[in-house]
Amino acid sequence: MDGKVKKQQKRHQQKHSGPKAEKKKLKKQEGSNEEDERKRNPKAFAVQSAVRMAKTFHRAQDIKAKKHHIPLVDRTPLEPPPVVIVVVGPPKVGKSTLIRCLIKNFTRQKLGDICGPVTIVSGKKRRLTFIECNNDINTMIDLAKVADLVLMLIDASFGFEMETFEFLNICQVHGFPRIMGVLTHLDAFKNNKTQRKTKKNLKHRFWTEVYQGAKLFYLSGMVYGEYQTQEVKNLGRFISVMKFRPLVWQTSHPYVLADRMEDLTDPEKVRTDPKCDRTVSLYGYLRGTYLKNKGQVHIPGVGDFQVSDVNCLPDPCPLPDVQKKRGLNEKERLLYAPMAGVGGVVYDKDAVYIDLPASHVKQQEEEVRPTTELVQSLIDTHATLDAKMAASKVSLFSGSATLDSTDEEGLHEQRVWDPKIQRERRKVVFTEEKEDDDNSGSSDEDDDSEEVEESGGEEEQEVDENPDEDALSTFLKEARSQCNEKERGGAPPVKKQKLEEEIAEVPVFADSDDELEKSEEEEEEEDTGRAGDSGHCSEEEEEEDEEDSDEESGEESEGKDDEAAESEEEEEEEEEEMEEDGEYDITVFSISFGFFFSGIYIFTLSTGALCWKEGLQQKASEAFLRQQQAAPNLRKMVYGSVVAADDSEEEEEEELGGLFRVSRPQKSKKTQANALDCSHFKADLSHNWDLEEMLNSIRDCFVTGKWEEGQDAATLLKEDEELYGDFEDLETGQVHKSHSGRQDEETQVKVEDEEVQKNKRLEKKRRLKERFDSEYDDGEATYFDDLKEEMQKQAELNRAEFEDMDDETRVQYEGYRPGMYVRIEVPSVPCEFVSNFDPHYPVILGGLGSSEGNVGYLQMRLKKHRWHDRILKTRDPLILSLGWRRFQTIPLYHIEDHNGRHRLLKYTPQHMHCGASIWGPITPQGTGFLAVQSVTGTKTNFRIAATGVVLDLDKSVTIVKKLKLVGYPYKIFKNTCFIKGMFNTVLEVAKFEGASIRTVSGVRGQIKKALSTPAGAYRATFEDRLLMSDIVFLRSWYPVVVPQLYNPVTSLLLPVGQKDSWAGMRTVGQLKHDLGIRNKPNTDSLYKPVVRTQRRFNPLHIPKELQKALPFKSKPKQQQSRGKTPRDLQRPGVIREPHERKVIALLQALSTINNYKKKKAHTVQHSKHKEFLQQKTKQEEAKSKRQKELRKKLYRAMDQKDQKRSRSSLKGED
Amino acid sequence: VHTQNHGLEYDGCNFFRQRLVLSTLSGKRVRIKNIRSKEDDPGLRDFEASFIRLLDKVTNGSRIEINQTGTVLFYQPGLLYGGAVEHDCNPQRSIGYYLEALLMLAPFMKTALKATLRGVTNDPIDPTVDLLKTTALPLMKKFGIDGAGFDLKVVKRGMAPGGGGEVLVTCPVRRTIKPVQLRDPGKIKRIRGVAYSVRVSPQMANRIVDSARSVLNQFLPDIYIYTDHMKGANSGKSPGFGLTLVAETLNGCFLSAEMSSTPQGQGDPVLPEDLGRNCAKLLLEEIYRGGCVDSSNQSLALLLMTLGQQDVSKVLLGPLSPYTIEFLRHIRDFFQIMFKIEVQKPLEDERKGGDKVLMTCVGVGYSNINKTLK
Repeated sequence: MDGKVKKQQKRHQQKHSGPKAEKKKLKKQEGSNEEDERKRNPKAFAVQSAVRMAKTFHRAQDIKAKKHHIPLVDRTPLEPPPVVIVVVGPPKVGKSTLIRCLIKNFTRQKLGDICGPVTIVSGKKRRLTFIECNNDINTMIDLAKVADLVLMLIDASFGFEMETFEFLNICQVHGFPRIMGVLTHLDAFKNNKTQRKTKKNLKHRFWTEVYQGAKLFYLSGMVYGEYQTQEVKNLGRFISVMKFRPLVWQTSHPYVLADRMEDLTDPEKVRTDPKCDRTVSLYGYLRGTYLKNKGQVHIPGVGDFQVSDVNCLPDPCPLPDVQKKRGLNEKERLLYAPMAGVGGVVYDKDAVYIDLPASHVKQQEEEVRPTTELVQSLIDTHATLDAKMAASKVSLFSGSATLDSTDEEGLHEQRVWDPKIQRERRKVVFTEEKEDDDNSGSSDEDDDSEEVEESGGEEEQEVDENPDEDALSTFLKEARSQCNEKERGGAPPVKKQKLEEEIAEVPVFADSDDELEKSEEEEEEEDTGRAGDSGHCSEEEEEEDEEDSDEESGEESEGKDDEAAESEEEEEEEEEEMEEDGEYDITVFSISFGFFFSGIYIFTLSTGALCWKEGLQQKASEAFLRQQQAAPNLRKMVYGSVVAADDSEEEEEEELGGLFRVSRPQKSKKTQANALDCSHFKADLSHNWDLEEMLNSIRDCFVTGKWEEGQDAATLLKEDEELYGDFEDLETGQVHKSHSGRQDEETQVKVEDEEVQKNKRLEKKRRLKERFDSEYDDGEATYFDDLKEEMQKQAELNRAEFEDMDDETRVQYEGYRPGMYVRIEVPSVPCEFVSNFDPHYPVILGGLGSSEGNVGYLQMRLKKHRWHDRILKTRDPLILSLGWRRFQTIPLYHIEDHNGRHRLLKYTPQHMHCGASIWGPITPQGTGFLAVQSVTGTKTNFRIAATGVVLDLDKSVTIVKKLKLVGYPYKIFKNTCFIKGMFNTVLEVAKFEGASIRTVSGVRGQIKKALSTPAGAYRATFEDRLLMSDIVFLRSWYPVVVPQLYNPVTSLLLPVGQKDSWAGMRTVGQLKHDLGIRNKPNTDSLYKPVVRTQRRFNPLHIPKELQKALPFKSKPKQQQSRGKTPRDLQRPGVIREPHERKVIALLQALSTINNYKKKKAHTVQHSKHKEFLQQKTKQEEAKSKRQKELRKKLYRAMDQKDQKRSRSSLKGED
Repeated sequence: VHTQNHGLEYDGCNFFRQRLVLSTLSGKRVRIKNIRSKEDDPGLRDFEASFIRLLDKVTNGSRIEINQTGTVLFYQPGLLYGGAVEHDCNPQRSIGYYLEALLMLAPFMKTALKATLRGVTNDPIDPTVDLLKTTALPLMKKFGIDGAGFDLKVVKRGMAPGGGGEVLVTCPVRRTIKPVQLRDPGKIKRIRGVAYSVRVSPQMANRIVDSARSVLNQFLPDIYIYTDHMKGANSGKSPGFGLTLVAETLNGCFLSAEMSSTPQGQGDPVLPEDLGRNCAKLLLEEIYRGGCVDSSNQSLALLLMTLGQQDVSKVLLGPLSPYTIEFLRHIRDFFQIMFKIEVQKPLEDERKGGDKVLMTCVGVGYSNINKTLK
């Protein structure tokens, strides 16, 4: 084959003549004409009706405007957290299988039990967290709040189940995340047609619930217990390109879907009191928005907690580094599921189980190996806790005290202060490094101090674990938290790994202002450690001393910027002036950081330090850098130390003295704690505004002063001239020539720096373009566009502002960014949370806003769900899901009357909104909520009882219920009555004087005045006279108090397996049902058989006189009806003789014959007569006809005669 | 500062307003201990009590507990209610004392605030109502608190110590606050001012104006100082005079200075000429300090930045006053917000006064939970 030379195919030759070519030509020509259909057929596009035209235009604009959303500032983080994909569906629908298949699709790994969230890297820019949602309503509610995407599994062979709809409704309330339906069990259909039909039906029903055209995926069949690879792949593709909308609640609250939990409680404490409150740390990706340290969080199912510490940890499942290639390589397909025991490590509540056979990715293995050794060694040492405690009692501030135990292995390690992360790092000492170390004093000193710290502050150290210690992976931390004492023993291999990195980093730290950034506590600790030899003077002093004595060396070492040095010197001069003033106490071994206070720099000098000569060059550069950053100093002055979190302990340590002492706000506060509270900022007395030089210093603040390059009017004018060049004044005919040409020549002669010129030109061009743009582009820009642009700008600013800052500092300003992997420490968690921990249930930490931790009254709009089959009763406890929380509360339902009164309702209306007032957690208005009657089981067919929205938070609720007071008149004078029984005392009456009252029959009246006796009686007037039998009532409104029940649903605290059986307060109905109590009904209300007595009427008596006067017709008939004739009066029947009988029979026969004859004759006669009549009528007709004719003739003749006569008479006249 | 469960604890009566205002806005309860506990006259003063009463009037459902000596105050904030409020401010402090706090709360009420405050309008200790009117209001407008109902009207003027003034404040409510970028104050284009005098010769005001102009004319020709002489019922109970100067920049920033005569019977009387000249110098000092916000409103600007959306806000300030520094600390306590503080040093050849401080923060994303949703 190869050897053969391929035969050249004959090329196609186009025809140049002939009919085909003609046709083509014609087509080409026509084509250009046909292009514009409007021109070719203008009639079709003509305006037929102006109204319709207006309508279509209007409609088009409406549609366009509807597409507009209020532009929001784009706050999505650069590296977003993994997308939360919640897989929902009724039991046995294939949720776990689907997750397993998807994970296999993305990472090529098989997972056994899907337990807790599973995070994977799905692509270059996307990570996914899968979590399975069981059918407990608590879980459904919680996960709906954190979901970005919901995979809703539907068993096609069965159809929709209630769980699906419940979940959809939950989603609707808490912001609608993306929902994708997945039909499974499609292979159950035998018939292809029914399958198609079912698919279609399900699809349309799904569309009505989600939106028209919502994606519904079909997973047709199973192969070896898994879904078909191609279909799963397709689903995966859909997931990885999906876009998500920001949901209001999620974007305004930070939250963490915890994928790991650790119990940090002191084991000894747990041993002594197993029920003690636990300190727990939860791990997970931060989502939503910035999380502030020390903020309040709510853990749904557990309760509200104050976060004690937040750390950001290295991402356990990082996105691949930036690279060009398309796909991910095997190494980057990471999987992180600590609860599911992936990677051979299972985190339990109080232990780490390590599966040593390498069943996972190599890279991870490498990380694990050293730490597993460590962990294993740690596990054994559990019992030595007491010893550790004892050892830790070595006094912290003795300075010289060292620990033997650390000395042995501590030789290899050294604590290095890392300014970037504000932490001490433990690193292995190398000889070369020691040289580098001289900036921070001699290394052995450091060792000393560090060891002291170690022994003393171990608990703190453990908490503030260094997040940048990459190599010390999370496993190590785990281990440390359990037993940090033995940590050093197992550490070395890890340390060595770390080594290279740190060496590389050291020079960077060397000239950064590490001491300044250090937390105060640690500084002070250090101070104490070094107090004895004081070998280490602060950089502040160093800087000053050095500048005083050895300026050249300082400058030479800086070698970067002269200006800075100058400014430094200036400041020093200032300082010296200050010193002369003698305002400041110069303390030995203390410095105050140069801070910026009322516009002056204040430095307190230290005199005792003499070790400044070491590493002058380094120090100088440090000093320079620090000078550059005056801000941290000012910041320090304002906020104290950077890690000023636990400064409360500091106050006691003040007496300890030492090298560093910052002019602490605490101290100053104490002196001025009771000073005058005034915002006035006293003017600086040193400024003498009579001096010309002072006046000159602010000259440029005024429009009369010098302007900047780009804004100066003169330069602008010149620019314009250059741009527009010559112009001729048309009125005068004068020609203005630009002298730019000449200038150009001059410049050429001068040969100025061309770069500058070029830059200037470019700048000019840019400005001109800007001006042009602003003139011509803005015309079309709508308000909407402007707004969008503004938001865009803000988003850019948000991104850019803290971009180049290191994380530790950045976190101080912004809080923890979404996308970070954080460890959150939560103190005083109920022990049941730990002891009954079940990873199948999601643990969510929802951050709370500023006042969302409080409890108060809420007014909300509520509607009973149309699928819930019973209406809700006022004062029946109800479980609400609002914000992050699930809680039981007692709502009062009410409705607003026309006059704005909130009237209490006994039950919710059937198909209408009503108001509901509850006592519950303060939540911003506009937050949606849903209500369920019980979270236990699935007794009711649709669990969601009601939905609604928070309208208002008001402490003074004004719900009233109708109250009718009833009274009875006991004395009636015309329209005035005395009424009793309504009130009990005179005082009560006095309160209601003037109130309007009414009787049952509708007679209105007014309360006038109380009567002395009987108590509570009063005088009232009415519009009409009352009867004694009337009942008087007073309509009044009684304010109702909202019951203060706020009972969080603590479902996560329940024992494993019973988490869905939380039962809070029961309703009265439930209680009665459970206890078998039945109310005795009011006997009056019971139904009884109706017994009616026969009615009797008395006879009507009419007086005799009247009877007489009456006409006969109306007279009472005295005669009784005859009735039956008595037997004796009845006549007997006649019995005839046989002969008589014969005679009569004959007579009868004869008469019958006779009758018959008569009848016959009569009929004959009748017909004859009829005939006769007919004839007669005929004759009559003929006769009349004849007569008519005759008459006609006669009249005609008469008429003619008349006409003739008249004609003749007319003629005669003529 | 000691963080209790759900609450904060402070010592001493200083920064009393800050604490209560921030507590009200953040919903965190606060306990202030040792209020003048070591002094001969321990406990809360009348003006502080008056302030608490005002706070009680504008809120709904707040709980205030004071111990018998008045040295411990516990405050559990309720919801800001707003509406029409009338308050007789204690004349120990001027209305400015109360107004500063009220302006911080006003945009976050349930209904638009319409407050009538009576008392001392002008005294040398606190910012006067004129100053707040000319600086605080335009500043708040930059944060989107705007509209027809945003006004501060001096109905009657009452000098210290007698008082008798009256101020009408109206402020609309906002659900959210806009982030701002105030980085460039611009150049000062004009200087305005009010020279007021009550119960003294009307000539006093003119004398003040002349002396103040003499100083300021060195810089700018566009200076206009109004004279405001109130008579009769509108003149309060004590005599006095004073001057408020405001410099407006091209970018709409306002820097101000003020000076009032010493209250009757307290200290040496001042000459109007001296007062005018000193006040003008104070304005120069304020200009020297510079920034987009003048020194007395720094805390207001920082608060509104804090309560903004979760966006970056930037404001250039002059040197931070001690009051502001404490305010920053309090903001951190109540909202866990820290500001990025950058010092901007003037360039070599620039003649624009002293060092400036650029304050940057990300707002907490505060939304007015008091406003009703209809």
